[in-house]
Amino acid sequence: MKRSSRTMALSLSLSLALALCAIAGPAWAQAKTELTVVLSSFAGETLDPVLQGHLVKYYLSPMFDYLVGTTPDGTPSPAGGIAIKWENSADHKRWTFHLRKGVKFHNGDELTSEDVKFSLQRAMSKRSTTGYAGPLRTLIQDIETPAPDRVVIVTKESTLIIPTYLSRSLSTEGMVLPKKYIEANGDDVFARKPVGSGPYRFVEQVTGAHIKLTAMDTHWRTGTPKYKNLTFKVVPEETTRIALLRRGEGDIVEISRERVKELQKEGYPIHFRKEEAILHAYWVLGPDGRVGPTKDKRVREALNLAIDRNEIAQAIFGGHADPAAIPMGLSWSFKDIGFKVTPDMQYAYDVPRAKKLLAEAGHATGFPLDIYAFQLPGLPEGKAFAEALAGYWEKVGIKPRLIPVDYPAYRKLWVDRKAPEAVGYYNIANRDWIGTYALLEKMAYGPSKPNDTANDPEADAMIAQVMRQTDREKINTLMRNIYTRLRSEHVGVPVVYLHSPYATAKTLGKWTPGTVMYDLFLEQLAAGK
Amino acid sequence: MIRFVCFRLLQSLIALAILSVVVFVLARATGDPLHMILPMSATEEDYANARQYLGLDRPYVEQYLTFVGRAATGDFGNSIRARRPVSEILRERLPNSLRLALFAMTVSLAMAFPLGVLAAVKKGTGLDRAAQVISVLGQSLPSFWVAIILVEFVAGRWQWLPAGGNEGFTSYILPGFTLGWFVVAGLMRLLRSGMLEVLDSEYVKLARLKGVAESRVVWMHALKNALIPVVTFAGIYFSILVTTAIVVETVFAWPGLGRLAYEGISSRDFPVIQAVVLTTAAIVTVVNLAVDLLYAVIDPRIRYAR
Repeated sequence: MKRSSRTMALSLSLSLALALCAIAGPAWAQAKTELTVVLSSFAGETLDPVLQGHLVKYYLSPMFDYLVGTTPDGTPSPAGGIAIKWENSADHKRWTFHLRKGVKFHNGDELTSEDVKFSLQRAMSKRSTTGYAGPLRTLIQDIETPAPDRVVIVTKESTLIIPTYLSRSLSTEGMVLPKKYIEANGDDVFARKPVGSGPYRFVEQVTGAHIKLTAMDTHWRTGTPKYKNLTFKVVPEETTRIALLRRGEGDIVEISRERVKELQKEGYPIHFRKEEAILHAYWVLGPDGRVGPTKDKRVREALNLAIDRNEIAQAIFGGHADPAAIPMGLSWSFKDIGFKVTPDMQYAYDVPRAKKLLAEAGHATGFPLDIYAFQLPGLPEGKAFAEALAGYWEKVGIKPRLIPVDYPAYRKLWVDRKAPEAVGYYNIANRDWIGTYALLEKMAYGPSKPNDTANDPEADAMIAQVMRQTDREKINTLMRNIYTRLRSEHVGVPVVYLHSPYATAKTLGKWTPGTVMYDLFLEQLAAGK
Repeated sequence: MIRFVCFRLLQSLIALAILSVVVFVLARATGDPLHMILPMSATEEDYANARQYLGLDRPYVEQYLTFVGRAATGDFGNSIRARRPVSEILRERLPNSLRLALFAMTVSLAMAFPLGVLAAVKKGTGLDRAAQVISVLGQSLPSFWVAIILVEFVAGRWQWLPAGGNEGFTSYILPGFTLGWFVVAGLMRLLRSGMLEVLDSEYVKLARLKGVAESRVVWMHALKNALIPVVTFAGIYFSILVTTAIVVETVFAWPGLGRLAYEGISSRDFPVIQAVVLTTAAIVTVVNLAVDLLYAVIDPRIRYAR
């Protein structure tokens, strides 16, 4: 029996020793030449810019240069891209880009106008599923390469959008790819071992785990980068992301709004991307447009007035959100077009008035309303928000029915128009006026089925005019009028602007994450700017 | 024995064939992957282009036959989400899951065997009661809770072990323990009850009367005969650990099969869902077959002469 006890003790000790002997010390001694960014999602984890737009920019923008660069606030800038100058013909149908000379891809090939042409054609190909491949396909007629350092993009119609659509402020269509390398090795090799011309080159990808990059010795965007190695880790669970921060294994960590105070107390700097997205609810259209009680403008206004946006900002988003007033009102575009949100545009929390409006519309006793509750990337509070909406609307007599669902299932119902009048929501990334226009053209424009959520002929007419207009002042006026119209018709429920927090290592130093969507402008940090 | 193995393999093939139809149909019934890979601003033309490019515009029967034909050769097509061959992704993820499951099972067995045997040998003592407490805790504490607590304290606050990822041996410890903790409880209870039964049997009494050393009676004669239910349980749980560790893999950012399944389901990535389900089924089949064969090794009285 003693032997049995000894055996047990030995086995237990071995198990314990197995764990203890392997205990790793904290990694605070991590080399300063490493920069590790820990995110909750990499989306599709694709390395080829034409296979996915938006979220992949986090890790692709250090690897690739854009034709048109931007400053961290999203303003197109000749200093940040391959094009050092661009100009348009009088009819706004020919856009000439003058390219930076001496830029080389990571494999040593020189970057020329042929690469730009090839990249753009690839971005518009059927294979491409980037954010704005569709509009570019429709718009671009030809791409000319009169010289190795000059590209001319010819459009079918007069337009102002070309530089912005090919810039860093939107998706990935403007990234310049190596023609020779891709043609020699094929798309599949490129997708596994991408070659760009950015300040960091690709080293390794382990799907579901990390993407590792290493710095070029010197680069026109950064000089000699401060960080030799740049690693992006995907860690879905927030507790784990924060543990990585505490262990010194993460330098920039995506966190939720509710953990901000705790980490601030521990002394971790928190950087916000202010108003990174608008949280906006809307009523799903039926096959022929708006249906049910929400066809009545008074009902739509009542549902807006029934919501306490300040309370939502505080209670659900930990105070890291601000009330929104304009349906689909992406606030970064407001300054571009000279739009001001006046105090009377802000929705008051006014339950009596909401009830009165419902009564006037013949719905004093309310009506049933389905609310789909789902999470979205960057919106872990999604379901809590849906519950809050239901609670507020119940107070004015509506009979909400919460339907928990995962987003893909809901999106199918939405775009197939199989859930007319039901309430859905999105957190749309903020963007400048052209990006905003691109959004409005799809989400508030009747002919754009299936994504339309506005169904307003007057707004449709103005949106259609923007695309054909080349006078910037006239565009600004149209855009202001569109916003005013969307607000006066209460075409949706603008709720709050969300501020997105990133916690950083205490030793990281100054970092301005900028305001370009899905882009952390890490080279600013790498360059010590 | 050969007949038995052939019969089991045939059964497995039929099960896999039925499963392939079920997973093909169900995956398509709950959503459209294009809604996840195309931007919100995509037009109907963009949808049509992508559908054609990805081969999703072809009739379902044709898609199914293509899928089955390729799957038979180990080619599961391209992931709609990652746009890479699924077999390549599986090759990256499956070894991670197998290694983690193996580690978890080793930890479980190392803890469950001595605890289970001694709980039976020392029935009614403090050690037995302690083993029962471990058992209750193991089976009642949800693995997501154990995982979060370990990450928060052991990794984050005390900084003893890595919080996540698969970067070296130490990164196996927390996810391995979390996974294995639940299995320890089950194994230990089975072993304890099996041992109690065997220790009370005539041949054990005879061995003791003949003066065989107690340790030899317990660890050689009794344990071997109490192992069959334990082996079955361990076998089933090994395949479960490999294939369904979704929560643990998510919390510990472990790039394994469970997380791949979750990612595939949440993005309606049909080829990935199909590949993961079929691979999972194949693993379960192989493990079950191995367990059946192991019975004969453990207990020669068992014959497969059916």
